[in-house]
Amino acid sequence: MENNYHVCTGCALLCDDIEVGSEKNKINKVFTACRIGMAHMKEGKGEAIFRVDNKSVDEATAINEAVTILRNAKKPLIFGLGASTSETQKIAIKLAKKINATLDDNSSFCLGGVVETLIKNEMKTCTLDDVRNKADVIIYWGTDPSDSHPRLLSKYSYFPRGKEKQRGWEEERTAIAVDVRKSHTAKISGNYFFQIPPKGDEEFIDAVIAGLSGKLPKTSYNYPPKKLLELANILKGAKFGVIFVGCGLIYSLESLESLSRLMKVLNEKANIHLMAMVGNYNSMGFNENLFAETGYLNSVKFENGIVKHGPEYSIVESLKAKTVDAALIVDSDPFSILPRSIVKNLQEIPVVSIDPYETLTSRHSKVYINTAISGVEAGGTATRMDRVKVSFEPVIEANRPSDEAILKKIMEAL
Amino acid sequence: MDFGSFLTSPEIKVKIITCRDIFQEKAMIENHFGEDYINHSAVIKLDPADLKQLNVKKGDTVIVKNSFGRIVVKAEESGYETPHRGIAFMPKSPWPNMLVSDETGGMGVPRFKDISANVTSAKGEKITEMESLF
Ligand code: SF4
Repeated sequence: MENNYHVCTGCALLCDDIEVGSEKNKINKVFTACRIGMAHMKEGKGEAIFRVDNKSVDEATAINEAVTILRNAKKPLIFGLGASTSETQKIAIKLAKKINATLDDNSSFCLGGVVETLIKNEMKTCTLDDVRNKADVIIYWGTDPSDSHPRLLSKYSYFPRGKEKQRGWEEERTAIAVDVRKSHTAKISGNYFFQIPPKGDEEFIDAVIAGLSGKLPKTSYNYPPKKLLELANILKGAKFGVIFVGCGLIYSLESLESLSRLMKVLNEKANIHLMAMVGNYNSMGFNENLFAETGYLNSVKFENGIVKHGPEYSIVESLKAKTVDAALIVDSDPFSILPRSIVKNLQEIPVVSIDPYETLTSRHSKVYINTAISGVEAGGTATRMDRVKVSFEPVIEANRPSDEAILKKIMEAL
Repeated sequence: MDFGSFLTSPEIKVKIITCRDIFQEKAMIENHFGEDYINHSAVIKLDPADLKQLNVKKGDTVIVKNSFGRIVVKAEESGYETPHRGIAFMPKSPWPNMLVSDETGGMGVPRFKDISANVTSAKGEKITEMESLF
């Protein structure tokens, strides 16, 4: 297997230059990957585990129990799938249709709004390869890729020599961070770190727009106008700029209106693109696949051929309002990622968890099916955060079924 | 007898902002229930002046609570040069999620990065175990 390049599914960058060494069907060396990717690639070693009520059972029993739960449910929820292959996602969408389920992924409480503007071509975007080859001004706003997408700066956005950027970061690229704290990424941005108070983003955007329009930029928190004007000037001069948008920015805005306004004004004067820092490796794929099928990215409910959509069909609102009576969770851990005040309601309904990892969710599930890690033990396709399609083969032989195989069996049995 | 335990400890109000941490993420991949993951998750990063006011040293445990929950986590200095009294940071994990409000305005988005809570010394109480979160 050595000297073959593999794809890392550790985050939505889907790095495709990973080399590994393996012994006895276990990856013991990983080259080129970041700290997260390294740990991720080495995890492929699991034995199949099937549990019902926390007791070990065989595969058929676990699937039967899952089928019974879904069959008895009047208002099932299917959630997760951001860390599943597109093939698995498409089966889940079919399944949701078949059983009249509510279907959602975590984009509904993260970056779904921004991703929607990108999928609908409402904001100017580009690929990561464009960023590597051309970008001269790069803004990380409310995001810390050094911790979340660790190779973004080294592989694409700041350090590499690109086709039209042979002199790289030292002379030809400016990295800017806007954040409420001096994150690792903000440190790299040096003098171009703009620290704003929590919830200060909206005003900061308005101030930048004022600066771009030749007005005096003002904020209620007295951000130095000189620095704001300096930022506006850098942005104005961008030949190929990109804003990487994270949850830090999105959670602080009332709506995306100010961000679109900023993009509009910026693109009257310069050439600026936008990219969403989606976390899970195929969250973008889920949004695209569901959009292709229904015209919506997330938070849908199928009802006898009709698709309903709205925040009331998001996992958060469905659990809060207790409008679902069973849950199939695929490759996600809502017990860890959602507020307890909301996810506690999952404890009142039967949960089927399909996941390569034992998690708080798998431990609180009636049925737990431990599956292969896609990208390590199972192949498939996914969509990178910049909407480029990537396919991958399994790196090692799996001792456990893929989530795709399990969903197929559940689907057939239903 | 430890008279200190009868004295009320100073309490401060904080806004908690959750964030990502590469070391925590790596630890989670290796074992969602492992010590390494817990040590990187059950942590609150405070301004040194807030630590002083609380009368706790870095590494001591503190109680962080609000009407949604109560957790005991380790207090650390944030290490940020700019003072940020009253603002604390936690890596996103089930621990801060104990304190996130269920108020979403019907929009499906909890306020993960805007958690109001009170912090006080835990007087040696141990970190809240993951098993007791649910
Ligand atoms: S940056 Fe993401 S895709 Fe690349 S090696 Fe790290 S975890 Fe894997």
